[in-house]
Amino acid sequence: MAVRPVGAEIELTLPAATRRRDSLGAALWRFIRKKPLGAAGGLLMAVMLITAVFADVLATHDPIATDAAHTLAAPSGEHWLGSDHLGRDIYSRIVHGARVSLIVGLASTLLGSVLGGIIGLLSGYVGGKTDLVSQRVLDILQGLPLLVLALVMSASLGPSIQNVVIAISIPIIPRAARVIRSSVLTIREMQYIEAAGAVGVSHLRIAFRHILPNTMGPFIVLCTAQLGSAILVEATLSFLGLGVPEPYPSWGRMLSVSAAEYAQKAPHLVLFPGIAISLAVFGSNLLGDALRDTLDPRLRGSS
Amino acid sequence: MKTYIAQRLAIAVLTLFGMSVVIFVLLRLAPGDIVDILFASAGYVNAAEKQAILKDLGMDRPYWAQYVSWITQILTGDLGKSYRYDLPAWQIIKPLVPVTIELALLSLVFAVVLGVPTGVISAVRQDTTLDYVLRVISLSGLSMPSFWLAMVIILGCVTWFGWIPPLTYVSPFENFKLHVIQFVLPALAVGYRSSALIMRITRSSLLEVMREDYIRTAWAKGQNGRVVIWRHALKNAILPVVTVIGIEFAFLIGGLVVTETVFNLPGVARFLVQAILWRDYPVVQNLVMFIAIVVILSNLIVDMLYGVLDPRVRYGS
Amino acid sequence: MTARRASIVVIVLAAVLALAVSGPAVSQTPKSGGTLNITQREDLPQGFAVHETGTISTSWPAMPCLSNLVFFDPLKKVESLDTVIGELAEKWSWQDNYRNLVFFLRKGVKWHDGQPFTSKDVKFTFDMLREAPDAQGKLRINPRKDWYTNIQNVEAPDPHTAIFHLKKPQPSLLLMLASGYSPVYAAHVPPAAYRTGCVGTGPFKLKEWRKGEFVEFVKNPDYFVKGRPYLDGLKYIVIVERGTRTAALQAGKVDVAFPGETTKTTAEQLKKAVPQLVVTPYSQNVNDNIIMNVKKPPFDNLKVRLAVSHAIDRRALVQAVQQGGAVIGASMAPKPHGVFGLLEKDLIALPGYGKPAEEKDRARKLLAEAGISPQKPLKVEMVTRAIAVYVDMASFVINELKQVGIEATLKQVETAQWHPMATRGEYQIGANLTGIGPDDPDANFFENYGCGSPRNYSAYCNEEIGKLIDAQSQELDARKRMQLVWDIQKKIEAEASRPILDWKLDYFTVWPHVKNLIPHQSIYNFGRMQEVWIDK
Repeated sequence: MAVRPVGAEIELTLPAATRRRDSLGAALWRFIRKKPLGAAGGLLMAVMLITAVFADVLATHDPIATDAAHTLAAPSGEHWLGSDHLGRDIYSRIVHGARVSLIVGLASTLLGSVLGGIIGLLSGYVGGKTDLVSQRVLDILQGLPLLVLALVMSASLGPSIQNVVIAISIPIIPRAARVIRSSVLTIREMQYIEAAGAVGVSHLRIAFRHILPNTMGPFIVLCTAQLGSAILVEATLSFLGLGVPEPYPSWGRMLSVSAAEYAQKAPHLVLFPGIAISLAVFGSNLLGDALRDTLDPRLRGSS
Repeated sequence: MKTYIAQRLAIAVLTLFGMSVVIFVLLRLAPGDIVDILFASAGYVNAAEKQAILKDLGMDRPYWAQYVSWITQILTGDLGKSYRYDLPAWQIIKPLVPVTIELALLSLVFAVVLGVPTGVISAVRQDTTLDYVLRVISLSGLSMPSFWLAMVIILGCVTWFGWIPPLTYVSPFENFKLHVIQFVLPALAVGYRSSALIMRITRSSLLEVMREDYIRTAWAKGQNGRVVIWRHALKNAILPVVTVIGIEFAFLIGGLVVTETVFNLPGVARFLVQAILWRDYPVVQNLVMFIAIVVILSNLIVDMLYGVLDPRVRYGS
Repeated sequence: MTARRASIVVIVLAAVLALAVSGPAVSQTPKSGGTLNITQREDLPQGFAVHETGTISTSWPAMPCLSNLVFFDPLKKVESLDTVIGELAEKWSWQDNYRNLVFFLRKGVKWHDGQPFTSKDVKFTFDMLREAPDAQGKLRINPRKDWYTNIQNVEAPDPHTAIFHLKKPQPSLLLMLASGYSPVYAAHVPPAAYRTGCVGTGPFKLKEWRKGEFVEFVKNPDYFVKGRPYLDGLKYIVIVERGTRTAALQAGKVDVAFPGETTKTTAEQLKKAVPQLVVTPYSQNVNDNIIMNVKKPPFDNLKVRLAVSHAIDRRALVQAVQQGGAVIGASMAPKPHGVFGLLEKDLIALPGYGKPAEEKDRARKLLAEAGISPQKPLKVEMVTRAIAVYVDMASFVINELKQVGIEATLKQVETAQWHPMATRGEYQIGANLTGIGPDDPDANFFENYGCGSPRNYSAYCNEEIGKLIDAQSQELDARKRMQLVWDIQKKIEAEASRPILDWKLDYFTVWPHVKNLIPHQSIYNFGRMQEVWIDK
C-alpha cells in the first residue's frame, strides 16, 4: 500500500463533527445512492435489529414450546418455516435467535472493541514503555486463533450467556487495539495536535477532545467488521456445544445435534438457521465495507 | 537486517512465554479436571480414589510447580503424557499433524486459485455487473458459517449420491484416488471462505495500484493493457495478498476445527477440541503452543517477505 | 400325462415354490469371513478398562475381546436367568441354598497372549472388584463395587474350579455375572494395561486402536468355541458428529449403528432412504427420571415430591421429547421388554399416569397443602447435564411444573461436574438418565435406592424399603420374588424420591447382510459378536 503525504489528508479526515452541517437525512440519502450495496447491508442489519427488538410480537409461537403432534413438519401456514424434531416452530426460534445473536454479537463486539480501543488509545498516545508492554500483551492474545481462544475461554467459564459474551470479546481486544493504535499514531503526528500540545492543552483534553473523535471512523468500521465475525464465532461455539445454553434459541445450536440427523426428512432444519446466520453476517460485512469507504478512504479496502 | 530478525525473534520468544502462562492459567480456570471426567465415564464419584489419581498424575502439586515442570519438559523436547490416553502426547499427535497440514495447504491452494483470478477480473471490470456478482459471491463465502457449508456438502452427498467421503484416514500411498476425494471436499469447504478474503484483497490492492501514476504512464506510453496489468500492477499488488495469506493461515484453524469434526478427518484441530472437553492439559497446552508457534512463525516469514519485496518497509515499526 | 399325475406335479411344484418364497423361515447356514464396520459414538473413554468405567462407549468396543464366566445367550432377545449360557464356565451349580456358587471352568482356554486361563484369573478379578484386603490387583476407579459386597470370598481350589462364597443367598448374582460389565481380567496383566490395550479370552483379538479414529479387531483362531467367530474382523469407527453418523449408516460406510443412539425419527428416515435396512426397536434399560434432594427443602416434603410426580404427564413426555420412542414404566424395565415390570393395572395407578388434567389438579392440591399456590409459587433450580437429550427432557418437565405452580429455572451442568454435584447433594431437583447393566432388581435397587449408595443421588433412605430390597435379593421362590419387586416399585413411586419418567427405546439399525446381531433389553450385554455373520 503506497505511502501518501500526510498533509493532504487533513481536510478529508477532520472529525465528522465538523461536517454535521449536513442534515442526517441528506447524508443518509447520499450514502444510499453512492453505496447501494452498503445500503442493502444496512437494511439487512436494520431488519435483524427490528426482529430482535420485536421478537415477541413477530414470532408466531412460543420458541420453546414443544408440540409432539407436529414434529418435523414442513413449512406450512401453521408453521411458516416448519417445525423441528420436538415440534418447536422454526420461524419463531429464528426470530428469537436473532435477539440472542444480536445481543451476544453486539455485546461482545462492543466490550472487546471498547476495551481494545482504550488500550489502543493509551498505548498509541502515551507511547514509550506503555506502548511496548501493551503491544506484547496484545501479541499474546492475538497469537491464538479466534476460535481456539474462544473455545478455551468458553470451556473455562462454563455455559452461560454472559460467559459466551466474555469469551468472544477477548479475542477482539487485540484486534481493536491495533486498529485504534495505528489510527492514533497517525493523528498524533498532525500539526494541529502538536500545536495544541505546544500551547499547553492538557494531555487528557487532547486525547479525548481531539484524537478520540478522529478515531471514530475506524472504530465504527472495526465494530461492524467484528460484529459479523462475532456472530459467526457464537454460531460455531453453539454448534460445538460450548455456546449459549438452553433455553435461549441460538442459530448455531439449532444446527447442531438434531439438524443434520433429520435433515433428509426435514431439510428446512438445516437450511433456515444457516441462511439466517449468513444473511446477518453478510449484511454486517456489506455495511462495514461501505462505512469504511465513506468514513475513512485511506483504509479503502476490499470491497 | 540481522538485528531486525534478532529483535523479532527475541520478541517472539517473549510472546510465547506469555502465551504459555495465559494458556496454563486459562485451562485451570475451567471447573472440573480429567479426574472428574474419568469419574463421569464411570458414573460415580469417590474422593479417596480421586486423590490417588491426582497424585499419580502429578496434579496435586502447587500450580507454579506444575508450570515449571511443564516448561522444562518442553524445552527438553518432552511433550508430556496425555492424561486421557496415558501415552506420550507426541505419539498421539504425530499422525494427526500431516492430516491438518495437508488440509490447510490444500485449502490455501484452493483459496488462491479461486481468489486471485476472481479478484483480478473484478478489479479490471470494476463496477460492472460482473464485478458486483463476484463481490456478492465472495462475500457470501465470508458470511457462511464453515460448519454449515460442511454439513450441507455431506448431506448433499448422501441425499443425492447415497455416498459420503471415507470416514477413516486413507493414506495417499494406500489409495491415492480415494485420498484425494477424502481431502478435496473439506478443503473446498474451508478454502471457499479464505478465497473470499483473498479475492477482496487482490481486488482492492490491484485497484489502488492501477491508479498509480506509473501505471497510467505505462498506459499512456501505449503498452498493451494486459501486459501492464500482469507485469506491473500485479507484481505490486501481490504484497498485501501475501500478507493476507499469512494471516489467513491463522484464521484457517477455526474453519479446520469444524470441518475436521463434520468430515471426521483425524486431524490436530478436531483432536484439540476433544482434548479441551476432556481437560487433557498436557495435550491442550502443547497443541496450543504449537499453533502459536506456527502463527508467529508465519507472521515472521510474511514480514520478512514484506521487507524483501518492498524496500520501503524493510525496517518495520 | 394323466390329469391326476399333472395335479400331483402342480402340487409339488407349488409346495417347492412356497418353501422357496418362505426362505427366511428356513434357517440359513452362517458363512465365515468378512469384516464388520460398526459405529462408535466417541473415542473410548478409558480404553478397554470395562471395570473402571460405566459407559457403553467403553463396553461396546471392549466386549469382543473379553469373556465372562457366564453370559446371556446372544441369540435370545429377552434376557433372564433362563438365557444365561456358559462362556469361561462350562457348568455351574448353586450349593447350600444359593449361598455358594461353584463354577466348573473350561479347560484349554488361552489368553490372547498365549498364557493359559485358570481359576487364578477368576479369583484375581473378583477379589479386585470387591476390594478384598488381600487382592492382588487394584482398580483406580471401581464403579460397581457394590455389586460384589455380598461375596464373602472367592476360592480357587484347583485350576479349573472357582467357588463364590456369599454372605447371604443371592440368586441374582448369576445375572450380574452375566452382564457385559463383568468380564474376567487376566491375573498376569496389570489392570492399568486395559486402559491402553486388551488382553482377553474373547472371540476377537485387538489389532489396533488408532486414537480418535477406530478400533480394529481380528478373529481369534484359538477361541474356545470351535467354529466361532464367523467374522474375520471388526472395525469400530469413531464418528462424533450425529449427522455424519446417520449419513455413514445410510451410505453403508458402517453396517451397524451404535446401541442407544438411533431415535425413532432417525430410524424412520433411514428406512425411507434405504428400505432394506433392518430396524429392531428394543428397550435399552435406560430410563429418564427426576432426582430430588430429600435432605433439603422444599423436596424434603413428601407432598411436594408427590406433586412433582403427579404434574408430569408421562405419556405426553414420551410423545413430545422422545417422539414416541419410549415406553412408560416404573423403576424396573416395563413388560414386554423387561421381566420385572409392573402389571398394567398397577402402573396406571401410580402418580402421573392418570388423566393429565386430573393429575395436575391433584398436584395443585398437594402443593396447596404444602403452602404453595399460584400467588406464592415455588421457585426452584433444576439441574441437568449440558447435553441436548437431557436438556430437551428438562425443558419439557419445567413446562409441566409451571402449570401447577412450580417455577423452575434450568441450569446446565457440564459432564465433569455432574456426578460430584449430584453425589454431594448440591442441587434441589434434577433431570437425570440412568442406565442399568442387567435387567435385575439387585443391580438396580442397591445402586440407585440403597441407603448411602453413591448413586442414590436423592440421598433417599427408607428402612422399610431397604429391608424389602434385602428380602427380594435372598428370595429363592421366583413368584414370591416378583411380588416383592412389584411391591418395592410401587412404594418407591409412592415416596417419589426419584419418579421414573419413561424407558427409552432404541431403534437398532443394521444393514440386511448383518445376521445374528440381536439387541437385548440392555445395551450393555449383546456386543460379543461371536455369533454374527455377514451374508454376502
